[in-house]
Amino acid sequence: MNDTRTDFSEGMLVAKGLGKRVDAAGQSIDILHDISFSLAAGASLAIVGASGSGKSTLLSLLAGLDQPSQGDVLLAGQALGALDEDGRARVRGQYAGFVFQSFQLLPELSALENVMLPLELFGGKTSQAQLREKAQHWLQRVGLGSRMQHTPRTLSGGEQQRVALARAFATGPRILFADEPTGSLDSHTGQLVADLLFELNRETETTLVLVTHDETLAARCGQRLRIDAGRMTQWTGATA
Amino acid sequence: MIRITLRRFWRGMAAGDYRTLLAALIVTIAALTAVGLLTTRMSGLLSTQANDLLAADAVLSADHPINPAAEQSALKAGLQVARLAQFPSMVSAHGKTHLGTIKAVTTGYPLRGQLLLQAGQGTRPATAIPAPGQVWLDVRLANALQVQQGGQIQLGTRSFTVAELINREPDAALDFSGLQPRLLLNQQDLPSTGLIGFGSRVRYRLLVAGTADAVRQWKHATRQQLGRGERLEDVRESRPEVKVTLERAEDFLRLVSLLAAALACTAVLLAARRHALRQTDAVALLVALGASRRTVASMLWLELLALWLLAALIGGGLGWAAQAGLEWAVRARLPAPLPPGDPLQWLAASALGGVLLLGTAGPALLQLARTPPIRVLRHDVSASPTVWISWVLVAICAGALLFWLGGNLKLTLIVVGAMLGALALAAALGWGGLALLGRYSHGFAARIALRQLLRRRWLSMAQMSALAMGLLGVWLLTVVEHDLLATWQSRIPADAPNQFVINLQPDQQAAFKQSMARAGYANIALQPMIRGRWTAHNGKPVLDRQYQDDRSRQLAEREFNLSWGDTLRRDNQLQSGQALSAAQPGWSVEAGLAERFNIKLGDTLGFDVAGTPVTGTVRNLRKVDWDSFRVNFFVTGTAQMFGNMPTSLITSFYLPPDNKTLVPQLVAQFPNVSVFDVGAVLTEVHRILDLATSALQLVFAFCLVAALVVLIAALETTAPERHRETAILRALGAERGHIAAIQRWEGSATGAVAGLVAGLSASVAGWLLGRQVLNLPTTFNYWLPLASMLSGIVLAGMVTAWERRRLSRVTALALLRDPA
Repeated sequence: MNDTRTDFSEGMLVAKGLGKRVDAAGQSIDILHDISFSLAAGASLAIVGASGSGKSTLLSLLAGLDQPSQGDVLLAGQALGALDEDGRARVRGQYAGFVFQSFQLLPELSALENVMLPLELFGGKTSQAQLREKAQHWLQRVGLGSRMQHTPRTLSGGEQQRVALARAFATGPRILFADEPTGSLDSHTGQLVADLLFELNRETETTLVLVTHDETLAARCGQRLRIDAGRMTQWTGATA
Repeated sequence: MIRITLRRFWRGMAAGDYRTLLAALIVTIAALTAVGLLTTRMSGLLSTQANDLLAADAVLSADHPINPAAEQSALKAGLQVARLAQFPSMVSAHGKTHLGTIKAVTTGYPLRGQLLLQAGQGTRPATAIPAPGQVWLDVRLANALQVQQGGQIQLGTRSFTVAELINREPDAALDFSGLQPRLLLNQQDLPSTGLIGFGSRVRYRLLVAGTADAVRQWKHATRQQLGRGERLEDVRESRPEVKVTLERAEDFLRLVSLLAAALACTAVLLAARRHALRQTDAVALLVALGASRRTVASMLWLELLALWLLAALIGGGLGWAAQAGLEWAVRARLPAPLPPGDPLQWLAASALGGVLLLGTAGPALLQLARTPPIRVLRHDVSASPTVWISWVLVAICAGALLFWLGGNLKLTLIVVGAMLGALALAAALGWGGLALLGRYSHGFAARIALRQLLRRRWLSMAQMSALAMGLLGVWLLTVVEHDLLATWQSRIPADAPNQFVINLQPDQQAAFKQSMARAGYANIALQPMIRGRWTAHNGKPVLDRQYQDDRSRQLAEREFNLSWGDTLRRDNQLQSGQALSAAQPGWSVEAGLAERFNIKLGDTLGFDVAGTPVTGTVRNLRKVDWDSFRVNFFVTGTAQMFGNMPTSLITSFYLPPDNKTLVPQLVAQFPNVSVFDVGAVLTEVHRILDLATSALQLVFAFCLVAALVVLIAALETTAPERHRETAILRALGAERGHIAAIQRWEGSATGAVAGLVAGLSASVAGWLLGRQVLNLPTTFNYWLPLASMLSGIVLAGMVTAWERRRLSRVTALALLRDPA
């Protein structure tokens, strides 16, 4: 699924002077200013900051879910600014995986079918049996081998997030974006889910971009980027 | 992609996500199928029944022998045919002579209806036509000639045996020409009578009957080739009473199908919006995972297709079963079995359902495909909400559909107008009323409830409007079913005149009145009648060929029955101009005729009455109440215009069926008089009325189901918001009692506004429909708004109570986790 021809020499994820301006109540407000950094393949980055500091906005720009007002993002060597909405969707489909705070599982599908969903979207001619096998493997890997046919409504929060992790890793993404992955969970369950996330990240050598306000979780990442009022105030770790 | 879509679809089905949309669509297709089938089958039966008066489904009539090509084309189309030649002639027996109408028929006559023969004291239907050498005589002619069954009569150069006495011919009431008593003979015998020659006043008719489609095609083809003196006869044009009744029955049926469809449209529209909203998160996720807009749009369209196919299958089956069940339920009241249903109705209903679904859900889904992927992170982001073009599309779709179904612009405009009016009124009342109530309300629950309704102002108004729409449907149907139908039925009194007396001479007036008074008919009104050919309109000659349609040609060609009198009768209403008087001589013209021939007040009309021209100015136009069944004239003048021209008198009266003596007495006392039984027409009108009533009741049941689905869909539009609010209140420590009180207030306020609006709109629309479309005198229903308001409160109360039970089973946490 990964494109080996792509040149990652500048880094798996590169932000170049990113800024975001929104219009609210007749006024333009800059919610992000001039963010630049480079993240090597296989590295892990935690974006931290207070509520409303612009963490999730930055994540949405990095993942191509939204467009910046200034600057550009290079994701797996591709400049997102030059792509239209469908082009960015293609890049996401090829390289990225997601984990959300609110899990975002489709309520009408079973755990297994939720994991199969992205596989089927981009599976091409791969047989159903193979896709199913792959999804089953990942569900077993996150410890839900016995709950595959359950729908999200019948799963606990921690279980739902584990399904989301299986779904995210099943496509073999080069980079994983996680938005407050433990934000909706109690601390014990959150800890378990975070352990699983880092473990899978290590195993698959995926690049990880994590938004969190949990300093302990952030400390487990190789690099940390702190945002205050939309500005990058601190970079800890390797080269920014 | 197809697999994912179908899987999501089936899972969604199982989880009840499509419940409302699918139900709305199923009801729409089922209602359109059932209503379409019922109305076309009922209309078919109505027409066939009415055609009894014509003795055929279609009649080609001419003043010369019918071109054999017309008969050949009918036979080729698989139609039944019979020929008829009719003319006046003297008939004699035992030295007595009487003018009769001779009717020479071929095998098969009558193709529709029954020819009743005298059988002892009763009657029996004829199964054949007179054998060669035999004739059948009208009872009145037999009486006048004093000849019995088995006796001999002389017709032209031949004598015949009287084999049967005729009690009733199906087509006797077709027109007033040739009202002399009939003599029926086999057409084979006609040449031997020596009566047909150059200059004979013979009217030839080709009778045709068969399936509706074949008859329609034959009529269409024949109309193109009509020659001079030829015309196609239609029962509607020949008998205004039947025309009025038939058209009103069809208008009623159209109106009810229109209402069912309009309600179903509303239900689908509401459910589609809700469905689209529910899909937003799934779409955002798919886009975030990398699905292209095209993929997402294809998935959404595929889903709609699956939904439509399922609804078409279930809805079509239900619709078919329902109309069959309903037909079974009223079969005892039907005069004949309904003609078979056309499967095309199901296809048409399914196609219409599909158009409706695309029109309503399509724009919302297209908009959905543009959901920005960032929505997976931020729930406050959605696709740009203003897609006004889609609403214009929906409006055009729905309008076209309704017009197609209504087939009558005025009817469609009133129904659509009432719905739009109800929407606007609900919005205005909702906005203003809630604000006002909010300001002056006391108590915790009322304050919170009204504040919540006001906060989600647009949703509240949408909900009230939708609820109003559903209630409007129910109440409008109630008005139609209860008030309008009852008014119509009461318009044709049980003692409407069923006997017409014509040819009475002015010098017999006193003796006739005395005889009638002895029989219990005091002050019987006699009206002068004289026949005249319309020759000039504003000085220009009137030529039948200048008119395009058959009826106009026919009217222009044939003689009018004219009358005179200064006073306007109760069943005639002055529409414009001045009443006729000696000081203001001129014509009074029936409004429908005036419209047909573009006759205006002040125009000059000239008639040729027995060779003498009679000219006058049109002084007034009047509406005639054909339902009264009294003697009525298209054109009347003033006495002095006719001078001393020879006239006869005409009157009508009701004869109870058990009175068998009065008519023979009258005929014996006044041998020149013809007493003409229009009981057949009256029976027909009553039969049509009964049929229409049965049909309406059947269709009514369907409309109620459609209205119920609208109500549920309407309440579901705000369900997520209400759930969330409840959860928050619960989390904040509100007790169940508090929440129940708030919900009661919300339900009552919503129901009251919607009910009031629906009641007001239904009253206005019902009144307008009665006056403008059905031509029935209706009164405004003052009790209806109040009843509707109460029903709104009760209904909304019931739904909120049901919802409360559902909510009480879930915890605040679960609600917060899963607000939808």
